[in-house]
Amino acid sequence: MDRTGEFLSPQQTIEALGSQRYIAGTGIATVVYLSQQLGKPLLAEGPAGVGKTELAKAIAGATGRELIRLQCYEGLDETKALYEWEYAKQLLYTQLLRDKLEKTLAKSKTLGESADRLAAEEDVFFSMRFLLQRPLLRAILSQNPSVLLIDEIDRADAEFEAFLLEVLSDFQVSIPELGTLSAVHRPIVVLTSNNTRELSEALKRRCLYLFINYPTLEQELAVVHLKVPELSPLLARQAVELVQRLRTLDLRKSPSISETIDWARALVALNAEHLDSQTVETTLNVLLKHESDLERARHRVGLTLPPNRPLGQGAGNLPPPPA
Amino acid sequence: MVQFVKALRAGGMRVSLAESAEAFQATELMGIQDRESFRLGLRSTLVKQVSDFPRFETLFDLFFGGGPAPAFENALDDLSAADAQRLAEAWQQINQELRERLERILAGAPLSPQELEQMAGRVGLGHANDLRYQAYLAERMGRILRFRELEEALEELLRLLAEMGMAQARLAQLADRYGANVRSWRQQLLHFSGLRIAENMGEDRRPESREAILHKPFSAISDRDMEQLRREVRRLAAILRTRIALRQKRAKNGHLDAKSTLRTNLKHGTVPIEIRHRDHQLKPKLVVLCDVSTSMRSCSELMLSFLHSLQDQIRKTHLFAYIDHLEFISPDLTARDPRLAVEGVLARMPSGYYNTDLGASLENFAGRFLDTVDSRTTFLVVGDGRNNYNDPRLDLFDLISRRSHRSLWLTPEPPALWSTGDSDMNRYQPLCHRVLVAGNLTELSSAVDHLLAGR
Repeated sequence: MDRTGEFLSPQQTIEALGSQRYIAGTGIATVVYLSQQLGKPLLAEGPAGVGKTELAKAIAGATGRELIRLQCYEGLDETKALYEWEYAKQLLYTQLLRDKLEKTLAKSKTLGESADRLAAEEDVFFSMRFLLQRPLLRAILSQNPSVLLIDEIDRADAEFEAFLLEVLSDFQVSIPELGTLSAVHRPIVVLTSNNTRELSEALKRRCLYLFINYPTLEQELAVVHLKVPELSPLLARQAVELVQRLRTLDLRKSPSISETIDWARALVALNAEHLDSQTVETTLNVLLKHESDLERARHRVGLTLPPNRPLGQGAGNLPPPPA
Repeated sequence: MVQFVKALRAGGMRVSLAESAEAFQATELMGIQDRESFRLGLRSTLVKQVSDFPRFETLFDLFFGGGPAPAFENALDDLSAADAQRLAEAWQQINQELRERLERILAGAPLSPQELEQMAGRVGLGHANDLRYQAYLAERMGRILRFRELEEALEELLRLLAEMGMAQARLAQLADRYGANVRSWRQQLLHFSGLRIAENMGEDRRPESREAILHKPFSAISDRDMEQLRREVRRLAAILRTRIALRQKRAKNGHLDAKSTLRTNLKHGTVPIEIRHRDHQLKPKLVVLCDVSTSMRSCSELMLSFLHSLQDQIRKTHLFAYIDHLEFISPDLTARDPRLAVEGVLARMPSGYYNTDLGASLENFAGRFLDTVDSRTTFLVVGDGRNNYNDPRLDLFDLISRRSHRSLWLTPEPPALWSTGDSDMNRYQPLCHRVLVAGNLTELSSAVDHLLAGR
């Protein structure tokens, strides 16, 4: 990683992200590298919890940039995303400066002259001082290079997407009172989406697309090993295999990698040594968050685990021990 | 690469000029040495939807050589002098044309481009533009090469050589090598035909008269048209979505929202010059019963696709499919492609000799799902109202209709046909608030618009 914080090649990207404790495959690394080189935003889609937001954080850490986050929701509009004037502050200053104001305008004789005088001082009240910068504007005006994370863009409505397109294309904003403000450094833009609805084509075209799916067994093992090193390798493998099996079931919400990590931590906290049906029973709700899913999982998976009671009494179809 | 992008577009992916320019830039950065990086570079810039990944992979393999090149081995290399002598004599006795070709196969020479072109012309590969014909056309080209006669000639040759005294092991080896080389030739043919088809797909003009297909009645739709219609549904749904969202935003007509008013009027010194209202929750709740019998299948499927695409504009949907009984299909539809969902449902309730029976389905509904209909629900039936002379259960329909906020019927048949045959539309019509006629996709989209518009 050179000092300017750029990625030099996909391979080096993998290492840089790894140093931030984020395990990335070649697919992810290539798109991140291309996004930086081509200067295009990165659109990360995938099921919830697979690490899209974490990716943005890892990129920020790896490049040494500040992370500016804009969380989208329905009804998000320009004032909450871009900027707003701090009216209360302006009014307060007006009150406090009233005496000074009188002195300044004392010498003018007509109303018109006063108004002109005041207009000349206008930029006191409409200056950066009273501008409440929201994430987008902060990213544009930031003196240091930054990473702009626009989280869950699919929850915002179509109007916001159109507004975002405008901002993302030129990275400049025109505020009527202040003029046009351009970006000092172009931020790296990462958009995440949970795929609840289709995004507009214009937005998709502007971005490079990355689909992050549930990880494979080996990848997940590597992540668990990295994030929860206290878990014994054998138990980790059993746990990850169980989660992989759960994903093949037709559940309402399949467990994602973040839930696997939480479960691994839970197992560590409970000092579990091996995976038996009771441990799984008590901790399954860390993985599955719907009652119907819990039922189905218990039914399908519970029968195949060794019971923690002596053989012959436990649940399941295990044959009695040979005499 | 330009051909590749054209083929992607022909397959239905929308790749813009800007995106293809980015693909070139990405290739510059990633280089073409490593096939994997090249592929990833192209994929990030050209494909913007998960559902397009498989098509991208297929076409990429065709255009940029998936897998190792077919292996050719020269069988004639290491023949001993005596064997070579025998071979020369044996050649004399075999048909000239076959001999040349056999010699080439044994020598391990791949098919030359000119030969491939020539065979392509004879087989009509220039006009093929559907990847499903790839194997078939490769097979036909193989027949031109007369593989069967070549086999016979080889056997003849081997027999002659055996007579002349060549070792058995040697003969077996020759036969093996021949087999391997023929397989490589076949692979070459397959690859070539696939490549040519993909190129043709790119060259093909876009299917014209998109307008025509939007107005084609559902009864006259073929499978190919359905493909196009599915794409159109996505496009229309996007248009509808913005329209519906705007309508909801503008139609704020609730109580005064004090907090929001004050906030907006800070710039006016908290004098309420702009008034803000609290908006009613305007998104409808839907309960939809879709007839999935053969006559109604395309219409139902398209309707379900619409609802699937627009599900962020609807608060809660309960979807049911019926032919002679009712099936709850919402869980099937939540994540997957509507077409797969409908196919899944149809696998559970095969149509054909089942007769549509709305009465029995309504009975199922009233028995099990009546609680999904409340005073804020819009109840929609998608069907042609033809009950095959079964009991239409008007009483149940009336019950449901009065329980719901609005009840609508969507039929593909025009009013003139409502009194013909086994149609009960005339009897259902007075019981619902509105009957929408949707015979083609345009009408269907305006019906959906209407459905999601009113309260």
